[in-house]
Amino acid sequence: MTAVAEAKIKRRVLPSPVTGQEIVLVGVIVVLWAALAVSTPAFLTAGSIQPLLVATAPVALVGVAMTIVIITGGIDVSVGGAIMVCSVLTAKALVGTDGVSLGVAVLLSIAAGGLLGLVNGVLIAYGRVHAIIITFGTANLFMFLGLRIFGSGTVNGIPATLAFFGRGPDGRTLGIPHAFLITLVITAVAWWYLRHTAGGRHFFAIGGDAQAARLAGVRVQRRVLLAYVLTGVLVGLASCFVIAQGTSTLDQSVGSGKELAVIAAVVIGGTSIMGGRGSVLGTLLGALLVQSVASGVTQLGWRSQLSDLFVGIFIIVAVGADLLRARARRSR
Amino acid sequence: MTAPTMKKTERTDYLRILLTQRIALLALLIVVVVVTFFINDAGGYLTAPYDFDYMSASLISAVPLAMLGLAEMLVILSGRGGIDLSVGAMVSLAGMVFGFAYGEWGWPLWLAILATAGFGAFLGAINGFLVSWIGFPALIATLATFYAYKSLAIVVNDQQPISTKPIQELFSLSKSVELPLFGEYVPNVPLGIFTFLLPTVVAVWLLLARTAYGRRLYAIGTNDVAARWAGLPVRDTRFKAYVYAGLISGLVAVVTVGQFASARPDAGVSGNGMALPAITIAVLGGVAITGGIGRVAGVVLATLLIVWLNAGILLAFVGNEGSQYQLLALGAVLVFAALLNGLTNRRYGGTTS
Repeated sequence: MTAVAEAKIKRRVLPSPVTGQEIVLVGVIVVLWAALAVSTPAFLTAGSIQPLLVATAPVALVGVAMTIVIITGGIDVSVGGAIMVCSVLTAKALVGTDGVSLGVAVLLSIAAGGLLGLVNGVLIAYGRVHAIIITFGTANLFMFLGLRIFGSGTVNGIPATLAFFGRGPDGRTLGIPHAFLITLVITAVAWWYLRHTAGGRHFFAIGGDAQAARLAGVRVQRRVLLAYVLTGVLVGLASCFVIAQGTSTLDQSVGSGKELAVIAAVVIGGTSIMGGRGSVLGTLLGALLVQSVASGVTQLGWRSQLSDLFVGIFIIVAVGADLLRARARRSR
Repeated sequence: MTAPTMKKTERTDYLRILLTQRIALLALLIVVVVVTFFINDAGGYLTAPYDFDYMSASLISAVPLAMLGLAEMLVILSGRGGIDLSVGAMVSLAGMVFGFAYGEWGWPLWLAILATAGFGAFLGAINGFLVSWIGFPALIATLATFYAYKSLAIVVNDQQPISTKPIQELFSLSKSVELPLFGEYVPNVPLGIFTFLLPTVVAVWLLLARTAYGRRLYAIGTNDVAARWAGLPVRDTRFKAYVYAGLISGLVAVVTVGQFASARPDAGVSGNGMALPAITIAVLGGVAITGGIGRVAGVVLATLLIVWLNAGILLAFVGNEGSQYQLLALGAVLVFAALLNGLTNRRYGGTTS
């Protein structure tokens, strides 16, 4: 076989490194940023972009795992509740008499998140129930757990241990916020893993046809379990970002509605909700786009809730374009 | 056959009925819940008496819950991943329209209600158009409209609730009334049960069980492709399911405005929102998330179970702990019901209701 033919086969097996959706998203973000820069001179400054990147990080980070979950044909609507549990637990540990160190806080949060993810994963993979139902249920359970840990009211006087992930000067290296940098690295690793390893391709196989994947030798249940545990782990890390972003107070609304924000970012990024197709790079761009809109709406002095309207429109346009492309592919 | 073996078969049959007939299971659970709280009440463990009067008064929270549960049922029945995440946002937005029409522009009540229901149906039609005619996955389409409707509801009146005098007087809609004829022998019942809930329940039941449309909806939910080849108008049928869900959401908006005595822009989306509990009620009521299976009676019984369970929990704890334990109860019941569905599917090949 000639090298050319081999290369051809390789190209056919591997999906293209960037999807059309991602190119379009980059274009939209560039246009949006340009428009915002023209209308509000303060937009394209470090003081405006850095908080934007910090705010993007938690949604994009959880979005990486959510992308994998959705690629397997599942969904996790309990991440909002899980963020609440992890962040209140970590915040309480930070406030405690000794006050744990940065490393311990992160590990604690990740361990708590992983445990919650394990609960979801076991129920979904071995209980053989539709993921949306189970995670609706566990969302309530997690919220209960979180509120119980809160006790009454808010957690006050959180020390600045997590400033490494925060908005302040401690949270940046070369002007780039650490939270965003970490998210970027994890997204890159996940992109490589999903594209270039057998284990990563298995997630796509499960989402395409779980039965066929099983017959082809994929351990479907273990893979599915892994996807939800991974979600929990990244929720744990994202919770540290959430605490670091806030003031020294954590209130009971933490995590509320985050599950839909994450799913919106994933969907805008071009991942198919039916499973079998998707990209973590798109999710990162989707999260960045949503946050840019939110930031832009505020800076233009519009009512901040108006940004939700744009999120809705973006979802329709992004998925609608994808539907039209799929239709064109089929008719070709 | 000897007598003992016969007895054994009978016993397994009871188990089988409980597992496969969701209505039987729900009825049993309701009895268990009510008896448990009556015993607790008699023992003096509750902060206030749990009696028929209390149970009857707590039915006021069953009105929006059951109505939206039915709305979700219609949509989920239609199959192909049918679900409506936007019902809460539709309640918010339609509620604002009702607030303007009745509270600000002074329309007559019947016209305002009609307009609100119609507006809800229009919002549902947008969902239905996206899902059925364009082909969006329902989860995506209604996630998008959830964001859009929620945002519009808040922006339309600059985040301010409408609570003018006519709106405040609507609070009488949610007060309890004595039934005619035999009213003095039974507890007073919230008025909303008769003005909104019962008509909706009867209408949905008639729609599903007594019209050709109902048969078509079950058909397309069970097997989309077969229904198309059988010549059924699949798209139109699915589209209408979303319109009906919007219509019911519009009616719930009126109920909610009456309950709060104010048209609040975040009425349907604050906290946990209204969509999650509604989907929970539908699933608990035996509606299969894959479509084509589900009955009105299941949804109604599931609502009663959750409402009376929540009402009891509220009395069993002091302060806001009760509302926290309600989350626990809702989550546990949903996970339990889902796992039970999975078990039943494997053992008996599915529930019949």
